[in-house]
Amino acid sequence: MFELDQRISEQLTQVALNSAVQVRVGTANSFMVTASTMIPLMQMFEMGGVYISASRGAVEIIQAFEAIGVDVSHIQFIDLVSSGILGGTDVKYPNVHFVDSPIMLESILLRTLYVLRTMESQRNFVFLDSVNALAIYNDDRMLAEYLHTFINTFRQREVLTVILNVPDQTPPLVLSNLDTYCTDVVDRGQVVIL
Amino acid sequence: MQPTTVYTRDRCVTGIHGLDEILRGGIPYGSTVLAAGTCGSGKTTLGMEFLVRGALAGEACAHFTATEPSVKLLENIRQYAFFDMNMVDSGLINVFDMDVLYSWLGLDKASFELDDVHALIKAIVDIVNTIGVTRLVIDSVTTLCYKIKSEQLIRDFLFTLGKKLATLGCTTILISEITSATENAHWSSFGVEEAIADGIIVMGDSERMGHLLRFLQVVKMRGTSHSRAKHAIELTPLGVMLTPMLKWGASADKTSRWGQ
Repeated sequence: MFELDQRISEQLTQVALNSAVQVRVGTANSFMVTASTMIPLMQMFEMGGVYISASRGAVEIIQAFEAIGVDVSHIQFIDLVSSGILGGTDVKYPNVHFVDSPIMLESILLRTLYVLRTMESQRNFVFLDSVNALAIYNDDRMLAEYLHTFINTFRQREVLTVILNVPDQTPPLVLSNLDTYCTDVVDRGQVVIL
Repeated sequence: MQPTTVYTRDRCVTGIHGLDEILRGGIPYGSTVLAAGTCGSGKTTLGMEFLVRGALAGEACAHFTATEPSVKLLENIRQYAFFDMNMVDSGLINVFDMDVLYSWLGLDKASFELDDVHALIKAIVDIVNTIGVTRLVIDSVTTLCYKIKSEQLIRDFLFTLGKKLATLGCTTILISEITSATENAHWSSFGVEEAIADGIIVMGDSERMGHLLRFLQVVKMRGTSHSRAKHAIELTPLGVMLTPMLKWGASADKTSRWGQ
């Protein structure tokens, strides 16, 4: 039986549409925290959304949701991983869009804005999975600059921004920028003893 | 102290997502703008969307195509959701094949002389005047100018055409094909188009770790202040979309033959 973290949905009742929520996860609880965040947004708050997948292919994420009985067919997925895999873009889901690579940061932003323009739902979220995956491909300063632009772009448009992050896999400069620009933190990250 | 009144020129609102913000409201009316870009940078799509947005606002528009037959152009542009074939059928967007125009004018020849150039200008201006065109795209001015052998004649052609179109209140985009969009490159094939044009929009590709990222940069626009920053662009079914390129991205991007 898949158990959701109910405290996350309680915390989400406190955030406004123009908020930017940093969701800190560990490597082991990533999907549980993702589902505990996404499900209330979709079902309780009846929001539409764009899921940007940089850590895994979109199909894997869709199937993980399907496995726990959650329909994500109204969520649009922007897959940054599968174009790098031969045959990876040959998928049966019409709600999956592809960007060639996680280094095409501006393209990811523009594609997300485009997808949002095509959506019928009035209240939407953008879920970025994840900062540490983007950090594999991008320079720290560029990624910090990007997240600054990313957060402000969606806050200005009243699109709830949710940014998934494994703190101990994220460069300190990027992490400190996230702390500065995000309005809320859901902390389910691993405890790191230095 | 009395507040200073600032004179602002009326604008042709392009309707292209992000471009009007860059131009602080749009292209000053009657301007001739060179859209210079490398192959595949989105010049034709930009030009076509400029016309579609005008047609949606009820303006009469014209497109002179010299690089591909009009049938092929329309087939390619139909994939975009912003384009509606009814605009062509209803006469809001008028597409002309340059080859057909040359035949009408008896200009089926390899190179044009002074009289031929004047005949061509007269034909274009007559069409604009008759239909009441307020938005015009010539795609591409490079292909057209290849037929004009002298640099002086190219200069005269563009200057006279631009002046006459401006008098008619027609805002024109001249598409120019270039092989490189680096800082040291010319923004036109013949070197004279960029001096005569009221505005220059450069389009190209930035190479980032083996991937090409399309960019657009307004380097000149008379009659308005504007951003001169590089903007990343995406050609989406809803039209061209722009966002400023990452400043730290420039250090990761490298110069390539096909763009910066």
